[in-house]
Amino acid sequence: MTDVESLAATPMGLRPADEVMRLERLGSLHATRLSFVRSLVRQMARQRWQISRVRFDLDANGNGTAIYRLQTPHGRYHGVMFAQPLDDAQRSDRVIAEAWDVTFGMVEGDVDDSLLEQMAANVPLQEAGRQHPRVLVLSRANKSLRNFSHFVEALSKGDQPDPAWLTRVGYLYRTTAVYGNGKFGIADFARLIDNPDFRRPFSAQMAGVYLLRHFSIEQVEHLAACQSPDTACGLATELRRYLGIGNSTGLGMAPFLINHPQLIAQWIAQRETALTLALRQVPEEADCARLIALTRRALTHFDETVTEDAEQSERNAATVAALPDVLTWLSSVPLDPDLWHQLVEWSARTLPLEAQELINTLLIELYPDQVDALEDRMGVVENLDLEPDMPLIRLRQLIETHYGWALAHDYASREGSYWFWYRSAEKEEPRLGVRHEEAGAEKEMPLAIGPRVARAHQRVCAFLEAHPRATVVDFLLEHPRHKEVVRRIQTLVKAPYGDIHANLWHRDMKPMHLLRTKLSFFGASRFDPKSDRWVRITLFQGAPLVEELNAEPEDLSDFDDWSFPLEPAREGIQGHSMGVRE
Amino acid sequence: MKVSYNELQGLCRKAFSGIGFEDGDAADAADMVAWMQCHGLHGVEQLNRGLDYLLAEDPEALTRVIYQDGDLAVLDGQGHSVLRSISLATELGFAKARARGLSVVKIRRCHNRQLIMGYLSRLAGRGMNITAFWRNAQVPLTEQVVGFRAGHTTPEVRVYSVRDVPEENEPNDGITLVMANHVDLLPSLDPDHDLDLLAHHPESELLACRELALKEGIEVDDAIWARLKTLAHRILVESSEASRGGAGAGVNDND
Repeated sequence: MTDVESLAATPMGLRPADEVMRLERLGSLHATRLSFVRSLVRQMARQRWQISRVRFDLDANGNGTAIYRLQTPHGRYHGVMFAQPLDDAQRSDRVIAEAWDVTFGMVEGDVDDSLLEQMAANVPLQEAGRQHPRVLVLSRANKSLRNFSHFVEALSKGDQPDPAWLTRVGYLYRTTAVYGNGKFGIADFARLIDNPDFRRPFSAQMAGVYLLRHFSIEQVEHLAACQSPDTACGLATELRRYLGIGNSTGLGMAPFLINHPQLIAQWIAQRETALTLALRQVPEEADCARLIALTRRALTHFDETVTEDAEQSERNAATVAALPDVLTWLSSVPLDPDLWHQLVEWSARTLPLEAQELINTLLIELYPDQVDALEDRMGVVENLDLEPDMPLIRLRQLIETHYGWALAHDYASREGSYWFWYRSAEKEEPRLGVRHEEAGAEKEMPLAIGPRVARAHQRVCAFLEAHPRATVVDFLLEHPRHKEVVRRIQTLVKAPYGDIHANLWHRDMKPMHLLRTKLSFFGASRFDPKSDRWVRITLFQGAPLVEELNAEPEDLSDFDDWSFPLEPAREGIQGHSMGVRE
Repeated sequence: MKVSYNELQGLCRKAFSGIGFEDGDAADAADMVAWMQCHGLHGVEQLNRGLDYLLAEDPEALTRVIYQDGDLAVLDGQGHSVLRSISLATELGFAKARARGLSVVKIRRCHNRQLIMGYLSRLAGRGMNITAFWRNAQVPLTEQVVGFRAGHTTPEVRVYSVRDVPEENEPNDGITLVMANHVDLLPSLDPDHDLDLLAHHPESELLACRELALKEGIEVDDAIWARLKTLAHRILVESSEASRGGAGAGVNDND
């Protein structure tokens, strides 16, 4: 039995859900080596995936079509990019936008003329188009205008852009939605279950984003060359590496977190398992030295990170202020076998939440051999099934044991029932309304699980008074409206990281924490909230490049070591002639 | 038009919510329709046929237990579509079979009965052998037998015509479910019986349909799709300047 299997068989020692599933803690998570972008890059390198350009028909303004081939040992895919002129007035990151700078799809198999024609007519329309069932991923992105023009201008003169620009905004493009799983006619995720390339959750979406990153580099170099063919140079490798893809995310992520509790439980359980495995390791000098190096890198990364959001700035600053103490602690304590336990206990007592979770992330980073197998356990068959024959008294006990958090809130007060979640008629965009002030509360999305549990509990207790020996199905035949929450409870007591322990109606609830929870599993960095319910992040910043992947790296652990990327020093960055790269 | 499985399930779920189904019922009903459709059993057409009834049903009229003992139950489906009412009646049979080894549940007065297969698939997946049986009051009288093996989420379906129609007044608007923990209940045609096999869908055929649906998408009628969209629209809140702010973002991102 491997470490992973033995821990999965006896999940003792994982942190309790009451600690892990608190919204503030979830909102403090960082990407780990199990995050989806990291897993994808490892898989690509391990299996020698190859990416090649098969079409690049862009005009002097960078508009046109580009196609990239992704060849794996098992299959062939194509990223098909459509770049088009966009009026500034139309450039919006909101889901309600109707046009974008780039739209693209990643297709399973080859792209013949008829498929290309179908995609050219529909992919740029995104939600308004009917997409082909061989499209696995559908997405769109808008330019960071300032970065784009700075990059084109610098490269066209034969200069390298200032790396500080990429520290402020780490990308040329930011996606505003990356659709998978059957949306608008594309392939269902169920179709990928037996596909060894993309059966992990969101791996196809992340591959699509990785291809966009490569396109963004090639497009900006193309523009520079068109502008000044004699002087233009290519983007230096350090900057290409430091360039990621942005993502702009709003409340749309919140319903996913609530509506896929078994999947979320699975993700968090793998992360917690990884942490427990790491804590069980007896550290050696080299491990301690590595942790110190990783902590220093993370410290610099957060010190460099720029956000206009006051609260996130404070959180970053608090992390930066805390990490020197961690370094001091690490260099002053003896190398005891339970050193990592001592570290997390000390960190829980003394460090702010984000720094605590950073330490956990870095501990997981130390042990690829022990934890990487967990990346294959991120998927789950979702089925909220009822246990109709469960004695009702048992259900009551389960609620009181596992959902104490839900019973503790006051849902009748104005503060405790302040927000309601709904979908707008505008492209079904999820929004938050103030219950007693705004219209639409009668069409509320039932995302707040706490009040539903509390209501069901109340009914169960009353029913038991009259029918002490009743089963769950007896109760539900009389009170069918509680079916969904009852089977959710019955299912999630076996997957306790599924429900977020918070009142999502409460006035003080911070939607940003929900967004960050999911984004951290994607592998997001540079959290840059633009309001309390809308955030920009960066994916793949620091990740190996397509040409490095195509070169079939020998040192896979070095290839994988790109977390918490740092701004390259301006001196020493050298461009190259466009001819060399082509 | 071609749609994906997830899209069909998602739109149905919203449409059922728009009709006024409780959250769990909307999810179950959507699963039932999408399950039928992707197994080549015309779930969307079945739904369309029953949609006017669904819209007219009294949502407060609950499926009622008329009689039950340890391994037997008779329920009144209140004339509702199985989409609204069936899941808990079948769960009652499941609970009894778990406790007693075998159960028989008769659900009287229900329609859209074909669609029950989608929910029974879930129960079979939870380890229950199931046979569902019903007769259609048409000429010639037909009967349908659906059998699931425990652990298999795809059934075998047979439709017979009954030549020797009994002289009785029992209405043909119910479903009989037999569930057994350990006993295989698959239908088989006894050659001595006076029945004609009208249709036979073995498990392998239905599974092949599902595979094809996932690969090539699912064809649905444009008009039905539009109708479902209209129903789904009922759950949306009309937009206003105030509500646009409720998403928390700006509308222009030229930076």
